[in-house]
Amino acid sequence: MKRIRTLLATATLLLASHGALAAAADVLVSTDWLEKNLNDPKVRVIEVSVNPGQFERGHVPGAVNFAWHTDLVDPVRRDIVSRENFEKLLRSAGVSQDSTVVLYGDTNNWFAAWGAWVFDLYGIKNVKLLDGGRKKWEAESRPLAAVAKQPAAGNVKVGAADTRLRARLPDVVAAAEKKSDVALVDIRSADEFQGKVFAPAGIQELSIRAGHIPGAVNVPWAEAVAADGTFKPVDELRKVYAAKGIDGSKPIITYCRIGERSSHTWFALSKLLGYEVRNYDGSWTEYGNAVGVPITNLAGTVWGGK
Amino acid sequence: MDALPKRSPTLPPARTLAIVGLVLITSLLLVRHLAGIDGAGAELALSALLGIAFGVVLQRSRFCFYCVTRDFLDRRDARGLLGILAALAVGTLGYHLLFGAFLPDPASGRLPPGAHIGPVSWVLAAGALSFGLGMALSGSCISAHLYRIGEGSMASPLALLGALAGFVLGFLSWNGLYLDTLQAAPVIWLPHALGYAGSAALQVALLSLLTLLLWRAHKGPAMDGQAREGVWWQQRWRPHVGGVVVGFIAVLAYLRLGPLGVTAELGSLARTAASGSSGFPLRLEGLDTFAGCATAVKETLWSQNGAFVVGLVLGAFGAALSGGDFRPRLPKVPEAVRALLGGLLMGWGAMVALGCTVGTLLSGIMAAALSGWLFALFLMLGTWLGWSLRKRLDG
Repeated sequence: MKRIRTLLATATLLLASHGALAAAADVLVSTDWLEKNLNDPKVRVIEVSVNPGQFERGHVPGAVNFAWHTDLVDPVRRDIVSRENFEKLLRSAGVSQDSTVVLYGDTNNWFAAWGAWVFDLYGIKNVKLLDGGRKKWEAESRPLAAVAKQPAAGNVKVGAADTRLRARLPDVVAAAEKKSDVALVDIRSADEFQGKVFAPAGIQELSIRAGHIPGAVNVPWAEAVAADGTFKPVDELRKVYAAKGIDGSKPIITYCRIGERSSHTWFALSKLLGYEVRNYDGSWTEYGNAVGVPITNLAGTVWGGK
Repeated sequence: MDALPKRSPTLPPARTLAIVGLVLITSLLLVRHLAGIDGAGAELALSALLGIAFGVVLQRSRFCFYCVTRDFLDRRDARGLLGILAALAVGTLGYHLLFGAFLPDPASGRLPPGAHIGPVSWVLAAGALSFGLGMALSGSCISAHLYRIGEGSMASPLALLGALAGFVLGFLSWNGLYLDTLQAAPVIWLPHALGYAGSAALQVALLSLLTLLLWRAHKGPAMDGQAREGVWWQQRWRPHVGGVVVGFIAVLAYLRLGPLGVTAELGSLARTAASGSSGFPLRLEGLDTFAGCATAVKETLWSQNGAFVVGLVLGAFGAALSGGDFRPRLPKVPEAVRALLGGLLMGWGAMVALGCTVGTLLSGIMAAALSGWLFALFLMLGTWLGWSLRKRLDG
């Protein structure tokens, strides 16, 4: 029985890796490709950045701007954007059924990857990430436009959200308590993971406890990218995660502080490596504050209150 | 028709050329140094360049809010005030031009990025009043004190020192003002209700009306008269020329970096120096949620606003040397006291109003913010009060 399971797992892995090799080209576009295809009316470029005022002063020509904290979330419910609002947003951005959407953004595509995750949740097809993001586009001195144009409305249809891509608190607690066989990947910095700090430098400390979810392994998001901000080649990525025991043999949950950097790793693991991955967007700001759930703190500074 | 005097254009004496050249080279070396700073270099260098240009224009055209108001109150000479209106008109049109690109739909409920559109409440009015009083007492507003440093004024550093202390007072009063008033105060942007065409038309109409009124009240020298006698490199520019150039600089700055302002760095210095001392609030509630001359606890030596202000002083210094306006002079005791006290009032006012005559008045009105207009109104009232007070004390 065990042998059969191993065999099956290996076969799945082989299939997944084969699929992934084809997938890298399907889910990523290079800056070069994008510049050559800017005039293709079927290509819709969308910037999702975190720093305000950046899109307006210069963006990939023809791109539209999504503000992640108003357009892609429901701030009152602390939830992802509703189906109706997302459909309205996409149509006003000129996205149609046959469009190819290219997402890019600042800070290494964190929020663009968050966008890609929301697009995936709602089952939008042909969504790609600009490899290297805004940083690489600028570093290569490619053209920027300062005038935003309102595109003609699109006709895309948005279906119900596929909750299988999203982890909620009970899923994570079950994993922490070993009630489900799930691999947890904490993509924050080592200092956050160990509980030495509550939040990265300059960011508000929003959780009352420091540390990580029991059983999680720490693979900081940046280990997935090369020096120029592009994703590492698929084979290298597979090794990076396999070294920490993340090999796709069981479902994975990624998390960080608020769910945006972990979207970046979610993208690498699910889209490039083809693993089964859920993103936990509640992340440490929810888990670290939740009542009656266990944490692991290696640094001995568990409680932030005085 | 008068025949123009036939003479070959003269050059400034070699001594002036050499010393101005030296200031220019120093300024450019600073810009080059800033450009090399990792990550933010391009923005810092551009800030410094715009600052230099701004400093030259302020000094050459005597773009000083208090001086031009006093000219009008004392002698009904409206030329300087008209220069400010020229800046506002050019800036209004330029900002609206950019708004159309930055935010095609003004009714969307969003605000254009970074534009100085502040909360409208009695706090803004009180801040503007305090600022007006302070600039009348100390002799000029903060931007003019900065260019006066370039002219060698020794009272201006005192006024800025007072302003630093005023900022600390502002921070100390901030949390109470925010929780009682500012948190619920409306942030009113004219294009929301009127559209871009409507708000541009309204503002230009208002500015035209003010121009007409000032023109009619004007009793000073003829409008087309030279501002000052002398050879060309010493002559002051006519105020409206300075105003038009200020308008252009403001629009270009907004296109590339952000709205003009001169107090963010001053406030940041005050905040950095005072934070950590007992009694200084650990958190300034909601301060980061408003657009304006934002202050931050300093983590790096150079900020964009810091580079801009240093550029301003250098530009004004070069211009003052060229014009023969560089005359270091020690203030008398009453003047020094007035500078300090006026600075204090200006610092508090600029902190609670989220900017000064540049950041809230110029950049606010250009951006069609109601906060800019309200600031202007109460600034004038405060200035008039301060002017009357000084007249009574002096006379």
